[in-house]
Amino acid sequence: MIIDVTVNGVQRHLKSRSGDRLVDMLRKELRLSSLNADCLQGRCGKCLVFMDGRIVHSCLIPAFKARGGTILTFEEIAKNPEVNDIEKAFHATHTQPCPFCHTAKTMVIFDLLSRVPLPSEEDIVEALDMVSCPCGDPIGLIQTVKLAAELRNKRKFNREA
Amino acid sequence: MILAQDLPTYSLSTCFKEGIPVFASEQISYRGEALGLILGPDPGSCDELAASARVDCDEEEPEREWESFSSSQIVFHYSAEYGDLDAKFDAASIELKEVYRNGIFDHHYSEPVGALAQWEASKLSVHCATQWPDDLRRHLADVLTVPESDIVVYPTEMGRTLDGKLWYPSLVAAQAAAAAKISGKPVRILYTREEDFLHTTKQARSAVSIRSGSDDQGRLLALDIVILINIGAYNPLASELIYQAVSAITGIYSCPAIRIEAYAIRSNTIPLGAMGSIGATHAFFAIEAHMNNLAQRYAKHPAEIKALNMLKKGQSVFGAPGLSNDIPFARIHRELEQISDYPRKYASYELVKKRDPGCREGIVRGIALTLGYQTGRSFSLQSGGNVYSVEVTLDRDLRLRIKTQAAIGSEPLKTMWRKTAAEILSIQEDHIDFLLPENTHSLPSGPMTLSRGSSLIHALIEKTCRSIQKKRFRESLPISAKARTRPLKTQAVPENLFPGAQLFDSVSWCGTAVEVEIDTLTGIPIPLAVWMVIDAGKIVNQQTALASLRASALSALALCTANDFDPLEAGRKDYMADSGLRMLQLPRIEIEFIEPDRNTAARGIGELPFITIPAAFYSALTQALGLDPRQLPLKGGEILRLLEGS
Ligand code: FES
Ligand code: FES
Repeated sequence: MIIDVTVNGVQRHLKSRSGDRLVDMLRKELRLSSLNADCLQGRCGKCLVFMDGRIVHSCLIPAFKARGGTILTFEEIAKNPEVNDIEKAFHATHTQPCPFCHTAKTMVIFDLLSRVPLPSEEDIVEALDMVSCPCGDPIGLIQTVKLAAELRNKRKFNREA
Repeated sequence: MILAQDLPTYSLSTCFKEGIPVFASEQISYRGEALGLILGPDPGSCDELAASARVDCDEEEPEREWESFSSSQIVFHYSAEYGDLDAKFDAASIELKEVYRNGIFDHHYSEPVGALAQWEASKLSVHCATQWPDDLRRHLADVLTVPESDIVVYPTEMGRTLDGKLWYPSLVAAQAAAAAKISGKPVRILYTREEDFLHTTKQARSAVSIRSGSDDQGRLLALDIVILINIGAYNPLASELIYQAVSAITGIYSCPAIRIEAYAIRSNTIPLGAMGSIGATHAFFAIEAHMNNLAQRYAKHPAEIKALNMLKKGQSVFGAPGLSNDIPFARIHRELEQISDYPRKYASYELVKKRDPGCREGIVRGIALTLGYQTGRSFSLQSGGNVYSVEVTLDRDLRLRIKTQAAIGSEPLKTMWRKTAAEILSIQEDHIDFLLPENTHSLPSGPMTLSRGSSLIHALIEKTCRSIQKKRFRESLPISAKARTRPLKTQAVPENLFPGAQLFDSVSWCGTAVEVEIDTLTGIPIPLAVWMVIDAGKIVNQQTALASLRASALSALALCTANDFDPLEAGRKDYMADSGLRMLQLPRIEIEFIEPDRNTAARGIGELPFITIPAAFYSALTQALGLDPRQLPLKGGEILRLLEGS
């Protein structure tokens, strides 16, 4: 079947087989390398995308459900200056994620900070729970998000001022 | 389609008597072993073809009762005896014998295994996520009968591997390389997460039996130890696993008479092997659990029994080079007690247990301390296992190129190495690049395990940068310097000791406390907090070290709380279920270093959580339960049954 969907601002007509998940369709048809089909259980977060403004695990969404929708992937999100703040924070706190969850962690933090500019520790923990990473330092990651929020707010404030 | 018969003599033979076939032919050794490859330009069509293929074979019974094994299953055996064991057992006031068991665990690395192989004329290039590019190249040369100099291995970026990618990638790379040679096309093999989870290597299962004899005070007089490690169908590192377990099994304790028998046992399950601290986790868990049991028998506090038996300066086991200093037990213990509030908590949990032995009031908690160590001992038995090298060049534009095969893996490591080089040469960190040597076999490298390789490489980078700095204002740029570690001097090791062992060489000490609560409704043990005090000389970058230790601490806790992987029952749904503690259940983790700014050589610390946490977790669990289950991990249901039966 053909699914009409807007991906990263471009209207697409994507082929999909019955049983395909959104992540399969995006990877196969558009070769979007920021996405991975890994656990297929909504735990690892390596398939995160924004669908109609909400961050979702695309492995849990049947491809046909995206019909008429708007999808943003890391390829598009990376153009935002916020991603730079997050990158700097990863470096400063020595929590650079591995290449396989880098985009997922960045997307989750990006989403959190755009909803809650000054997140509490509970907000952070809840958001990061979308990416189950068996190998990172979660305590350092909480510091990363706090620092990214600080950098973001400083940058925005200075600009406004 | 390529099958075993299309390959002449291909077998990964090094270190494994009968060899590891690249593809199974006569006999399938475990469920999931590759029989061949279906090649094609479209992965989807290959999948469809594979799904329609039929394999006729007779099924074997799974070897579940692996602890009673036949001699044909023994892949490696080590045995040693020291002191007069019988006389010491005769003199003992208390004899205690227990068996401690460890389950199978998945490594939960970030990316499934895979390899891409391509031939150009007689030259082979392989891209592969491997912890040991040198070994992979050696294996490929052996399997494909081509000179090593004709093979270039490009290690790809990896997440944390926990030793899951030491040798298995060699097998996958050999399959890809052989297929590429036959088909004349580049070949890529990439496992799905499910295939990787169900059919590739895991941590080996073990059973350690310890019989101890001790005097009326609780001093150890004799230890009779049998270590069984189930390595599944194949493991070329079986001997290493045994030696690491043997060298850790006496822990930090001294004993005048010891007998050790250790066996690597083959069984018809998936390949099982190293994890975290290779075989040391199994060994430390067993000896620490045994010391706790001993404390209970003497009605003494565990720390008292441990201090009584602790090795002193100059002492060692099996006549190995002795400790050059006393174990900094008192200091580590004091600091650990302070940060964890151990004495108060221990006493109050004991009191609660006395008042409410059946845990009916709902609070079941325990806390325990343990002390362990990590040595600089490396893969001394494997060819090239402890040789590391780097080449560093400072260019005219003040950019620094660091060439090492080990440089590819981890960003945090590169950050640490960059910082050191930048400080010595007073250049900017972002002017430092890590490169793979063009001629990979000119700069050999041992395995990049948790911290073995990285501390050695750090020392080499430090050395080469200092040498460049000395010449820098006398000679014109570019200036290069090369350094490599010296191979271990095995002739210095006493006769009775296993080859390659160097107990207590560049040792890092660590005290760990773990506090655990048991959910009385489900029986699930919940780690509440972990405290670690580490004495490891100079810590080059404390932030990086803390981040990596916290990550390892969580992985080590996951080993204690996860379900035992059952190769027959496991399915894809189990993969993430046990992949670690979720953000929402994070325990508190506090880590302190003793004098981290000391001017000493950097020592490895990455394995300390795997060495000390399972032992401390288990001891805390025994305190909470008032029972001694003698195995890790323990499922909630099993704990409930134990509580109900108590
Ligand atoms: S693949 Fe979607 S969460 Fe893991
Ligand atoms: S999955 Fe990438 S750091 Fe853990």
